[in-house]
Amino acid sequence: MEDIKIGIFICHCGTNIGGVLDIESITEYAKTLPNVIYATDNIYTCSEVGLTEIRDKIKEFNLNRVIVASCTPRTHETLFRNTCQEAGLNPYLFEMVNIRDQDSWVHMKEPEKGTEKAKDLIRMGLSKATLLRPLEKVKVDINPSALIIGGGISGMHAALNLANQGFQTTIIEKESELGGNLKLLNKLYPIQVDASKLLEIIYLVESHRNINVLTSSIPVKVEGFIGNFETTIKKNKQISKIKTGIIIIATGAKALNPEGLFGYNGKTVISQLDLEQLLKENNVKAQNIVMIQCVGARNDERPYCSNICCMTALKNAMLIKEMNPNANITILFRDIQTQGTTYEDYYRKAREKAILFVKYSPEKPPLVKDSVVEVYSELRNLIINIPYDLVVLSTPLIAHEDSTKLAKMLKIPQQGNKFFLEAHVKLRPSDFATDGIFICGSAHWPADVRESISQAYAAASRASRFLSKDYLEVEGATAEVDTEICIKCNICIKICPFSAISKNEEGEIVVNKILCKACGVCGASCPVGAITILHFTDEQIISEILSCGVGY
Amino acid sequence: MEEKLNNVLIIGGGIAGIQASLDLAERGINVELVEKNACLGGRMAQLDKTFPTNDCSICILAPKLADCSHNSKITLHTLSEVKELSGNVGNFKVKVLKKARYVKEDRCINCGACVEKCPMRVNDEFDMNLRKRKAIYIDYVQGVPSIMTIDKENCLFFTKGTCKICESVCEREAIDFDQKDKEIELFVGSIIIATGYDMFDVSLIPRLGYGRINNVVTGLEFERLICASGPLGGHLVIPSDKKEPKKLAFINCVGSRDIKNNPYCSSCCCMYTTKEAMIAYEHDNGLKSTIFYIDLRAPGKDFQKYIKRGNRDYNINYVKAKVAKIIEDKEKNPIVIYEDINTFKIKQEIFDMVILANTMVPKRDAGELAKVLGVELDHYNFFKGETYHPQLTSKKGIFLCGACREPMDIPTSVTDASSAAARAAEIIIER
Amino acid sequence: MDYEPKILGFLCNWCSYAGADLAGVSRIQYAPNLRVIRVMCSGRIDPIFILEGFLKGIDGFMVLGCHLGDCHYINGNYEAEIKIGVLNKLLKLIGFSERLILDWVSASEGNRFAQVVNEFTEKIRDLGPSPIKDEKYKINITDELNVIKSALSDIRLRVFIGRKRSIITEGNVYGEVISEEEFDKTLDQAIYDEYIRNKILLKIKNKSKSVLEISKEIRVEPNRVLKHIICLKSRGFVDFDKIIDIYPKFISIKEE
Repeated sequence: MEDIKIGIFICHCGTNIGGVLDIESITEYAKTLPNVIYATDNIYTCSEVGLTEIRDKIKEFNLNRVIVASCTPRTHETLFRNTCQEAGLNPYLFEMVNIRDQDSWVHMKEPEKGTEKAKDLIRMGLSKATLLRPLEKVKVDINPSALIIGGGISGMHAALNLANQGFQTTIIEKESELGGNLKLLNKLYPIQVDASKLLEIIYLVESHRNINVLTSSIPVKVEGFIGNFETTIKKNKQISKIKTGIIIIATGAKALNPEGLFGYNGKTVISQLDLEQLLKENNVKAQNIVMIQCVGARNDERPYCSNICCMTALKNAMLIKEMNPNANITILFRDIQTQGTTYEDYYRKAREKAILFVKYSPEKPPLVKDSVVEVYSELRNLIINIPYDLVVLSTPLIAHEDSTKLAKMLKIPQQGNKFFLEAHVKLRPSDFATDGIFICGSAHWPADVRESISQAYAAASRASRFLSKDYLEVEGATAEVDTEICIKCNICIKICPFSAISKNEEGEIVVNKILCKACGVCGASCPVGAITILHFTDEQIISEILSCGVGY
Repeated sequence: MEEKLNNVLIIGGGIAGIQASLDLAERGINVELVEKNACLGGRMAQLDKTFPTNDCSICILAPKLADCSHNSKITLHTLSEVKELSGNVGNFKVKVLKKARYVKEDRCINCGACVEKCPMRVNDEFDMNLRKRKAIYIDYVQGVPSIMTIDKENCLFFTKGTCKICESVCEREAIDFDQKDKEIELFVGSIIIATGYDMFDVSLIPRLGYGRINNVVTGLEFERLICASGPLGGHLVIPSDKKEPKKLAFINCVGSRDIKNNPYCSSCCCMYTTKEAMIAYEHDNGLKSTIFYIDLRAPGKDFQKYIKRGNRDYNINYVKAKVAKIIEDKEKNPIVIYEDINTFKIKQEIFDMVILANTMVPKRDAGELAKVLGVELDHYNFFKGETYHPQLTSKKGIFLCGACREPMDIPTSVTDASSAAARAAEIIIER
Repeated sequence: MDYEPKILGFLCNWCSYAGADLAGVSRIQYAPNLRVIRVMCSGRIDPIFILEGFLKGIDGFMVLGCHLGDCHYINGNYEAEIKIGVLNKLLKLIGFSERLILDWVSASEGNRFAQVVNEFTEKIRDLGPSPIKDEKYKINITDELNVIKSALSDIRLRVFIGRKRSIITEGNVYGEVISEEEFDKTLDQAIYDEYIRNKILLKIKNKSKSVLEISKEIRVEPNRVLKHIICLKSRGFVDFDKIIDIYPKFISIKEE
C-alpha cells in the first residue's frame, strides 16, 4: 500500500473566491486532513507563479496526489494536469475542486456557509484523490489507408480527395462498373448537363496511382476498429481481405419502382427513371404529359420527402418542353421543394415555360384513368380532368435491401426507413458514433449530385483527420471488464452506444479502449459489478458520498 | 515553384468557420481564424434551440468553441477583418486589420467586475437590440475568447475623456486604453470564406407592420425572446402589455420568393417557424400557433416527421396563404389579413403576437470582401460557387462554405464546412 | 439544533455541471446546501450509490442530467431514467421516496439550475432531517434501506434494468418486441417480489425462523412467504436449518 502524499493548493482567484470565502480557515482545515503533506493558498493558482509552485512542491515533497481548489475543471483541468505531468506526476493523480463557479460566486450573501461548503468539497475531493490510480493514454497505430464501399459519384469523389492527399484508397463496387445511379440518368439539373460528363472522373479514379478499384465486389465481414479495420471482400467466388484505417459508406440508394401505384404499366404510366431512359434515346413522343409528385412518399410507410423529385420533375418537364414547345405538361404536387437560390430560380423558369402546376392533397390523390388524370384541385375547389398520353410518376429514393446486412456487419444503426443513422444529425452528419466509419451521399439520405459531391468531400475531410496521424492517442480513463467475475450476459455489449464492447476469440468480454468514451453506463448496468470505470470507480464515487459531511 | 504554405485562412467564426477550422486543425494543418466580432459563434450562438432535434444551441456549440480556443493549431483573430489580398493559390499574403479591444487578452479572466460598474448602457446587438449591455462587454456569457471588449463608440473615456471606472476596478490590470488598431500580415496556402448572412430588413415591406406595430417581431428577435439566456429569461410575454400570449402567428417567406425583394427561397423558415412554435408551446401548453406558408419545405433528414409532430402534438396549424397586410386593433393586437389559397377567400384573424420569418440575405459587406479577395458574387450578391462543386469559387485556392453562398440550415453548413476543409487541405497536401 | 439539509447532487459534465457553472458565471445565488459530485454522464449513477448516501444520513439526493435526446453519450440519460425509476419505486415501498429527484438541466440553463436546487432544498427542509438520524426510526430505516440496497445489488433487478431499452426497442431473444407498459408490469412485480425476498433474508440473517414467524414479522401471507423461500433456496441464498415441532426453520446463507 503506497504512502499517499497530498498537496493542496487553494486559490483566491483575486477577490473572486478570496473576497467571499475565508481562505485562511479553509487552508488551515486542509492541513488537518489525512495524508496532506503540503497545503497553501495562491492568489491565482493558474498564473505562472502558481503553476511553478505546484511543480516545485511536487518535486520537493514527492507529492503523489495534487488537489487544486479553484474554478471549474471544465476549463482548467487540462492545464493543471499538464502542469503535474511536467513535474513528473501522472496527470490522472490530479483532482480539482470547484469553489468558485459553484461556491463563492453563488453564495456571496452567505460567506460562512460558502466556507463550510468549500471545506466539505475539499474533503470530498481529497477522499476521491486518495483512491485515484495512475493511468496512461492509449496509443493505437493508424493504417493510413481507406476503404470506400460504393463506387458512385459520392464514393468516387471521396476517393479522389483522399488519394490526392496521399492515402491509399480502395473502392469496392457491387456492380461491374463504377458510376452508380448516374449511369441511369440523362441530364442533370440545374444546368442540364449530360450525366455522362460528370462520370468522366471514372477515368481519373481508375488511373490514380493511389486508388485501387474492385468491381463486382461486396463486403462480407468487417472486423477491427478505427485505425485497424479488416474487411473481407468477395469478388465473384474469390475471397480476399483488406486492412484499412477507416471506412466510408457511399452505397447510395435506389429509386422506388412504382409497381402497383397509380396504374403503373411501364408504357403509358412510367417512372421518372423510365423517362430518363426515354429522354436519353430521344424517344419521348407524348404530347400531353402529367407528372405526379410524392408517389409512394410522404405517406405512412415512407413518411419522408425524398428531396430531389421536385427538381427532377421540373428538369424533365423543361427538357421535354425544349424539344417540343407545344407539349402540354402538368405537374400535380403537394409542396414544391426548391429551396435556396439556384433551385427557386429554376422553379420560376419552369413556370415561365408554361408548365402547369396543380396542388393536390394526400386525402384526395389523383386518379389515373384511361385517357385522363382526374384530380381534385384544392385551389379551385373542383375536379379537373387532364387528358394525357403519358403519366410520369415521381417516386422517392429508398434504402437498398442489403443496407441492413451492411449495418449489422459494421455495427452501425439505421433510422426508421433504413437509411443509415449518423452520430449527430446536426453537428456530425458525416460521422457514425463508432469511430472510424463515415458516410456520404444517398446512403445517408436522398441527395442530388451537388449534395452527394459535397458530402463526399465532407466525409473525406472527417476521415483524413485520423489518416493523417501516425497514431491515435485516446483517454486512459476508460471502462475495464474483470473476466473472472463476468457472467457473459452481454448487457454491456448492447448498452454501449459506441460499440466499444465485444466478445474476443476466447469468448471473453473486452472493452476496446480506443472506442470507449468512458460514459460509465456499462459500469452502472453490469448485473455483477464486473466493470470498473477508471477514474470514476464505484469506490471513488462512494468515498466522495461518505465524506460529504454527515455522520449520525 | 514556391513551396506551398501549410496554413489556411478561414474568414468567419460561425458554425461553418469553426467546423472547417477544427477539421483542418485535427488534420494537422495550421488555421488562422479571422472573425469580425469580438467573439466566435455567429448566428448559432443567438439561437435558443435548433431543429430537427430541438437541442439547446449553445450547449452543442460550446464544446466546439472550447476546442477552437484550446487547439494549438488554431490562431484566433477576433475583432479582425481582411483588408487586402495578394499572391496565388499556395502562397497568399493577406493583410488583416485587427481592431483594438482596449483589454489585454492575456490578463482578462472575464470576472465581470468592470461590467458591473460601467455606467454606459447601449443597445445589445447580440440580443437584437431588445435589451441593453454596457460599453465594456462580452457578446454572450459563454463567448470565446472569454475576454471583455470596450465599445469605443459608446465608451465615456473615448467619447468624453472621462470615467475609466473599469480600469480602477480591474484587479488584473487588464484595461489598456492605449491599445491601437493593428495591421497584421498572414501568409497562407488557401482561404475559406465562411462569413454567414444578415437578415432582411422587414421595414422594407411596410404593409407587414414591423416597426409600427409593437407585437410584430422577426424570427431572430423571437428566438432571443424565448431563449433562457435572452432578455425575458425564456418567459415569453407580449411586448405591448407583458401578458402571456395565447395565439401566435408565424409568417413564412417574408421578403423571399418575392420578385420585388428577394426571389429566392430562404431554405430554413418552414422548419424554424415550426421549431419556434414548438418551443413556445413547451413553455405554455395553452398556446396555439398558426404558420402561414406557400410551400411547406421540409426535405431534410427527419424534417417531415418534425413538421408532422408540430401539427399533431404542439397545437400548430398550417395554413397555405399569402399574407397581404398586418394591422392592429385598439388593444394593440395584430390582425393578419391574408388570402387563403385553398379557398381563394380573403380572411383576417387576430393574434397576440406575429413573428415574421424574414429572409436570410447576403452580408451587407459581401461585395467589399468579394472585391478584396477577387471572387465573384452571384446575381443575389451571395458568394458564387461552381454548380456541382459549390465550395469552389472563381479563384483557385479560395473556397466557400455555409450561408455566405446560399441560405442553408446548420446540418448543411456543417457538411459544407467539412467539404471546404477537404478541398483546402487538398491544395496544401497534394502529392 | 438548527437543521440545515445536507443535499448531495450528481451532475453530469456536459449539461447539468455546465449549467451550474453558468449559474456561477451569471452570479445567480442559490441555497448553499448542495454538495456536488461530478460524473461524466448521469448514466454512470448506480442506484447503490444513492442508497449508501441515505444510509450515511444524507437528507436529499439530486441526479441532474441532460435533457432527453441531448445526452453527450447518446442515451446515457435514458438509462439513468430507468435506474432512478426503479430506485424510486423501491423507496416508495419503504416510505422514503420524497428525498430523491431526477431532473434535466442543460448547459445553458443557469437560472433553471438555481431554481431546481432552491426548490429541492426547501422541500427537504420541510420534510425535516432524514429519519435515519432519529433514534426512534434509525434501526427500522437502516434495515429497510439495506433491504432495497440488497435487492438492487442482486442480479435479477439489475438484468431487468440493463435489458429494458433493448427489449422494448429491438426485442428479446425470441425477436418479440415488448411494449413499455407490458415490460413495466412485469418489472413492477419483480420489484415488489425482490423487496419482499430481501426483507425475508434480513429477518433470517443470523437466526433461523419458520415460515409462520417470518409471515408475522413482515406481514405477508404464509403461502407467499413459502414461495419466496423456495425461490431463495433455489438461488442458494437460504438453507434449511432445523425443525422445531413440525415447523422447519430456514436461515440465510447469502454471502454479503
